Amino acid sequence: MNKAKIIFNQTLMISTAILFGMGIRTAVLYLAAGQYMINWQWYIPLSIVMVGFFCALASLILYDDSDAGRISQRLRICIHFLLVFGIVSLFGYLFDWYSDLPQYLLIVIMYIVIYAFVWISTIWILKADADKINDAIKEIRDEE
Amino acid sequence: MKVTINKTDSYEKESAVITAVAVTEDIRNAADILRGNGASIPVISGSDTLMIGTSSIYYIESVDKRTYVYTKGECHETRYRLYELEEILGTGFLRCSKAMIVNIKKIRSVRAELNARLSAELLNGERLIISRGYVKDLKKKLGVN
Repeated sequence: MNKAKIIFNQTLMISTAILFGMGIRTAVLYLAAGQYMINWQWYIPLSIVMVGFFCALASLILYDDSDAGRISQRLRICIHFLLVFGIVSLFGYLFDWYSDLPQYLLIVIMYIVIYAFVWISTIWILKADADKINDAIKEIRDEE
Repeated sequence: MKVTINKTDSYEKESAVITAVAVTEDIRNAADILRGNGASIPVISGSDTLMIGTSSIYYIESVDKRTYVYTKGECHETRYRLYELEEILGTGFLRCSKAMIVNIKKIRSVRAELNARLSAELLNGERLIISRGYVKDLKKKLGVN
C-alpha cells in the first residue's frame, strides 16, 4: 500500500468512526434526555473529515519502513496515540466540539473508543490478507 | 513436438503437462527446468566457484554492495547484483525489500505486523520482513486479491 492510499483509507475510516461516535452521542442524548433535534454548525461535517485527514497523516509514523523492534513499535503506537489525541483536542477546541469539562471528557471517551475501533479494523484487514497469503503459499510450498 | 503456451493470471495456477511416447533425457531436463530445479547460479566458495540450484536458495541479501546467497544451512557470495538475480530467478522469487529477494516456495507462513509489513517465517526457521511496498507483488504472484 502506498502512502497516499494509506492516508485516503485512514481518512475514510477515522471520519466514519467519528461519525459513528457522534451518532452514539446523539442517541444517548435522545434516550437519556429526550433530545429530538441536534443543531450543528455548517462546518462540523467538514471538520470531521479534516480531523480524519490530519489523524491519517499522523498515522504515517506507524508505517515508517525503517527497521523497528517490538519496543520501538510500541513506542510509536504510544506517540501516535498522544499525537492524535492532541489533534482531536486542538480541532475540537477550534471547531467548538466541546465548551466545558464534561463535554471534553465525553470527547476523550469517544476518542479512546474510536482509536480502538480503527485499530481493531486495521488489524482485522491485515490479518485477513495474511490468512489469504498463507493459504496460497500452502499450495506451492516446498517440502520441509 | 507440438508446444502450446496458455497465459494464466497467477503464479499458483501455472502448470505444465508433457505428453510423450517415452521419457527421454530431453524430457527429463525440460521437466526439471519447468519445476525450477534446472536453473543454477554461480557462487564463490573460498577460491572456487560453485553452481547452486535455484530451488535450494532460501533468500538472497545485498550487504555493503556484496550479494550473499543463503541456502538451508550455508551462505555464499555471488558476483551478481540483486537486480540481475531478480531477472534470472524469475517468478518463483520475490523482491521483499530493497536489499533482499526471497524464494516464495521456502516461506512457511507470514504474519501481519502493525505497520502493514509482513513477517515471513522460512522453512529453516529464519524470519525476514516483507516490506509494505512489496506485499502487493507477493499477492499478485500468488493470485491473491
